[in-house]
Amino acid sequence: MFTLNDYRIFGLNIKSKIVLPEAYEIHGIISEFDVEIELNPPLEDCQDQFTTDNYQFDNGRFLFHVPETAFYSITSGTQITITPYPGADEAKIRLFLLGTCMGVLLMQRGILPLHGSAVVIDGKVYAIVGESGAGKSTLAAAFVRVGYPLMTDDVIAVSLSNDSAAATVYPSYPQQKLWEESIEQLGLLSHNYSSIYQRINKYAVPIRSQFCREPLPLAGVVELIKASEPEPSLKAYNRLEGLHVLNVHTYRNSLLHLLNLQQWQFQSIARLASGLPVYQLRRPADGFSAFNLVDQIVSLTNKKEVVIS
Amino acid sequence: MSVDIITANELVVQSDGYLVSEMNGEKIMLSIENGKYYNLGQLGGRVWELMASPVSIQDMVKQLVTEYEIEPGACEQQVRTFLQQLKSEGLIQVRKE
Repeated sequence: MFTLNDYRIFGLNIKSKIVLPEAYEIHGIISEFDVEIELNPPLEDCQDQFTTDNYQFDNGRFLFHVPETAFYSITSGTQITITPYPGADEAKIRLFLLGTCMGVLLMQRGILPLHGSAVVIDGKVYAIVGESGAGKSTLAAAFVRVGYPLMTDDVIAVSLSNDSAAATVYPSYPQQKLWEESIEQLGLLSHNYSSIYQRINKYAVPIRSQFCREPLPLAGVVELIKASEPEPSLKAYNRLEGLHVLNVHTYRNSLLHLLNLQQWQFQSIARLASGLPVYQLRRPADGFSAFNLVDQIVSLTNKKEVVIS
Repeated sequence: MSVDIITANELVVQSDGYLVSEMNGEKIMLSIENGKYYNLGQLGGRVWELMASPVSIQDMVKQLVTEYEIEPGACEQQVRTFLQQLKSEGLIQVRKE
């Protein structure tokens, strides 16, 4: 665990004391790093400072506690320090490091994290957001299956330009988390993949061959909703509805208040919503339809091009 | 809805507890307390800005007629109607001078 590794995640050069098999390693010499991930020796218990909540904001440091796993400290968007519990599972330590910790780090750096998957269609990024269980990852996997590259499957890092509504998405790391049911429906075999810690039926599926490593412009957001109708349907939201979608699906939005970043986030999503098309895609609760949904989204991008030209 | 008239010796000021931004030139707000969104529009956004600190309707109208092509009488009437809406939503506070 005490080796030194260099990775590139969300467009950031990261020097890490903990091995991250999920992420792309940087080959070659890097003189400047954006982020350092430090690892303290394991500590039995320092829960005293977390009396009521597992989150704390103190003097520019964001503190985060995961019982039986680790304490994390995230500072100024440049440093993450991990203090594991003795004997804690490394996969679980990484799960929260790559999830919540990176999300908070992005916010500290002024990069808006959305929760969902992002796929690349004709060199442009489409973000798929939705509630847990809406089918974001399954839909993203279906895109991958028919040849569209993926850019992330959990945290969508959106970098806004200072002087326009244009936004760029930065790639995360080439891994999907899929339920056994989805793996089977997509014609994959679950015994080929390792199960994610304590989530017996959820598997980590590496997708290096179908992963986009270049930052690309964000062209649209699709909110996926599990509905009771028998057929899928697609509609465009108006701007205020789009703003609400971006607000609800901001990654870890419950922490914005603690981080004192509510006003920043609201300004960011308002800037995004002023120019970005946001759609609602309703899919039937029953019956597998992921490939059908892929067609719907792709035809949407075609339609838009016709209108422009 | 109450039909309170804001009198000449009363001042109006923005309420706290809203996130404020702009979308396509229009002022938009989100109530932190109840999660409700508001679009004040462009002109409404300007009126909102004028209420950053307590101000009388007369002073607001004086300012607005220099920025927009509108008669003081018509301007005051529109501002009053707009402020009533803001007041009923709790977006502004009315204080005695």
